[in-house]
Amino acid sequence: MMGNLLEHMGVERDRLHFSWISSAEATKFVDVVKEISDKVRALDTDKKFAKDYTK
Amino acid sequence: MDTCIEKIRTICADLLAKGEVQKVIGFAEGSIPMASRPIAVTAKADVEKLVFNSFCGLNLANYVADGLPKEGKIAVLAKGCDSRNLVTHMVENQVSRDQLYIIGIPCTGMVDKRKIAALFEDDITDFSEAGDTLTIVSPQKKETVSKKEMLRHNCRMCTHRNPVVFDVMAAEPVEEQTLDQPFADVDRIAAMDPDERWAHFQELTKNCIRCYACRNACPLCYCPTCFVDESAPQWVGKGQDKTDINTFHFLRAFHCAGRCTDCGACVEACPMGINVRDFTRKLNKDALELFGWEAGMDMEKRPPLDVYSPDDPDDFIK
Amino acid sequence: MNFITIDKKDWAGGIDKSRKTFQVFGPVQDENGCQIKPLAPDLYPLMDAGVTTVMSPKSVLFPQTEKMLTATLDASHEDHHVMKPVEKADTPRAVLGIRPYDARAIQLVKLNFDNPDYQDPYWCGACAATTFVGLGVNRPGPCDFSTSTGCGPFSEEGLDVLLADLDDRYLAKILTQKGETWAAACGFDTKADAAESQALFDILKKEAEKNITASVDTDRLSEKSLLDLHEAPFWEDVAFSCINCGTCTYVCPTCWCFDIQDETKHKTATRFRNWDTCMSPLFTHHASGHNPRESKVQRVRQRFMHKLKYFVDKYDQGIMCVGCGRCVASCPVNIDIREVCKTMNNYEKE
Repeated sequence: MMGNLLEHMGVERDRLHFSWISSAEATKFVDVVKEISDKVRALDTDKKFAKDYTK
Repeated sequence: MDTCIEKIRTICADLLAKGEVQKVIGFAEGSIPMASRPIAVTAKADVEKLVFNSFCGLNLANYVADGLPKEGKIAVLAKGCDSRNLVTHMVENQVSRDQLYIIGIPCTGMVDKRKIAALFEDDITDFSEAGDTLTIVSPQKKETVSKKEMLRHNCRMCTHRNPVVFDVMAAEPVEEQTLDQPFADVDRIAAMDPDERWAHFQELTKNCIRCYACRNACPLCYCPTCFVDESAPQWVGKGQDKTDINTFHFLRAFHCAGRCTDCGACVEACPMGINVRDFTRKLNKDALELFGWEAGMDMEKRPPLDVYSPDDPDDFIK
Repeated sequence: MNFITIDKKDWAGGIDKSRKTFQVFGPVQDENGCQIKPLAPDLYPLMDAGVTTVMSPKSVLFPQTEKMLTATLDASHEDHHVMKPVEKADTPRAVLGIRPYDARAIQLVKLNFDNPDYQDPYWCGACAATTFVGLGVNRPGPCDFSTSTGCGPFSEEGLDVLLADLDDRYLAKILTQKGETWAAACGFDTKADAAESQALFDILKKEAEKNITASVDTDRLSEKSLLDLHEAPFWEDVAFSCINCGTCTYVCPTCWCFDIQDETKHKTATRFRNWDTCMSPLFTHHASGHNPRESKVQRVRQRFMHKLKYFVDKYDQGIMCVGCGRCVASCPVNIDIREVCKTMNNYEKE
């Protein structure tokens, strides 16, 4: 529901990810982090929920 | 609307005289046109102060959790939406059923004061209503309008006008509405592309002054320390940076996910009339579609974000 | 005293001329009501708004969020961790079309920000750079009780220019040197006869004041015992409906409280000043964890005691209120300062 609301506001859905990972699942952790990093990097630097102190 | 005020006063006078409740929480006449104010009546003689009309738009469930005596009951006037919030309070262990005497009021809706004010170029000096007819006066002119056309948006979308829990009903139940498109406003936003949507929400909150009237009028917002008031660590800035304003509204809405009854008190309280329901309505739609859930309808069931069920949608989890 | 006639046909052109030297502010209507905003080159102030602005013009001198100081946390810089003032351009500004009570409010706020003991450099700098061009209120609204608070719909205190709306033209009374400079920058120079103009102003003032329907009595506030009022039993009733939001304090032109916070991002620290409200539970929360105004009743009582008693006793300039009626119109639960004032003014300890 959080992802849906963020998307409803116009924030790209790919910025928010969920996963259940046990501390015993190191390989899964690496895979998920890689996937998330790739997906988020593919998007432009977020300007929507970022504070800009130069203003 | 049958404002049923005489019946309400009789019921309250009786309750207070018999000592069945220590106080009655209701509405009193306001000091300016189209205003009403929440009031606590403890003396039988004061029940004459109680009113009920088409601008009792705040949610009295907001006053219940703080006002509980150590022993005994309090009475509270509850419209359909208010009664659902009382159910939520009970489900969330903020109050127990035996502490409340609920006076149910079937409601035909509250009027949108801003919509009425927009009909005039100067200040309104008088307002009166008789059934569906509203008569509004300002120094420049007098207008007669139909209440149906001046209803608040949440009241037009309301499908639970009759209280779901009560000890006594102050009037006969009213017919419930059926809506073809119960979430047309949410759909309209969803149809926009992402940048348009972002622009919509920026435009929506451009005049927000962080007064927190929306939060404080909301019966669901009863946390002893709200997330925006935390300082160790501080999660959200207190200034007017757009990111802080967005975060406040987004996260407050999310804290009400699956709990909001769309009572409209937030919009009613806002000094700018910002329709913060644009945040919560999306969540209400999702709660219904993903979990078949409407807040405050059933005292026995746990809310969906409160319990785990193997059937819960989980295609978003890796 | 100089009087100038401004044909309404020339008004917009004059404002445009003044934009060369002034940043122009004024009321504009949007979906949320009438707001005071900086006016972009194609925007003009709404001079004939029948209702007052939701917020007061105090934000022109005292913005809701103001950057005060900034510092770099980068140790490789010579001046790291040294807080420096933010580059501020106190460019001349003109606030057009404000109501006279808002100008008096600025004078009341000045007691706090510009006095012999202490001058707030941010507020003082902004005030010195601002010219207030007020518009007399011919038809005061039902919540306007400015005549009870020492000003009124045609009061001149705090204004640099007072305009009177005469249908097809404005009659401008130039009150200060700043007012002269503004009129010159707009190119408004059609002089009007002084005696006739003053007479006109006097008539308009009388008519406008006759239209004021709301009033409060404040004559007995100073003689009341502070402790008696503080311990009075009526506060519980007054405070019941209050939801402790910040609406009344934020819309009020005479409220001045603020909070200072530092925010850091990466290697930059910025110190901000934000409006704060005595209605918030956090307002008096001490670092020790103790809070002398923990309960709602204490906070509601504090607000009215400050406005209607402490200020009266301390400054002997009447109440800390100019009767604009914004709090009455905007309070979500309709707590009415006029009623509270009446209760306090009439209170006799049993």
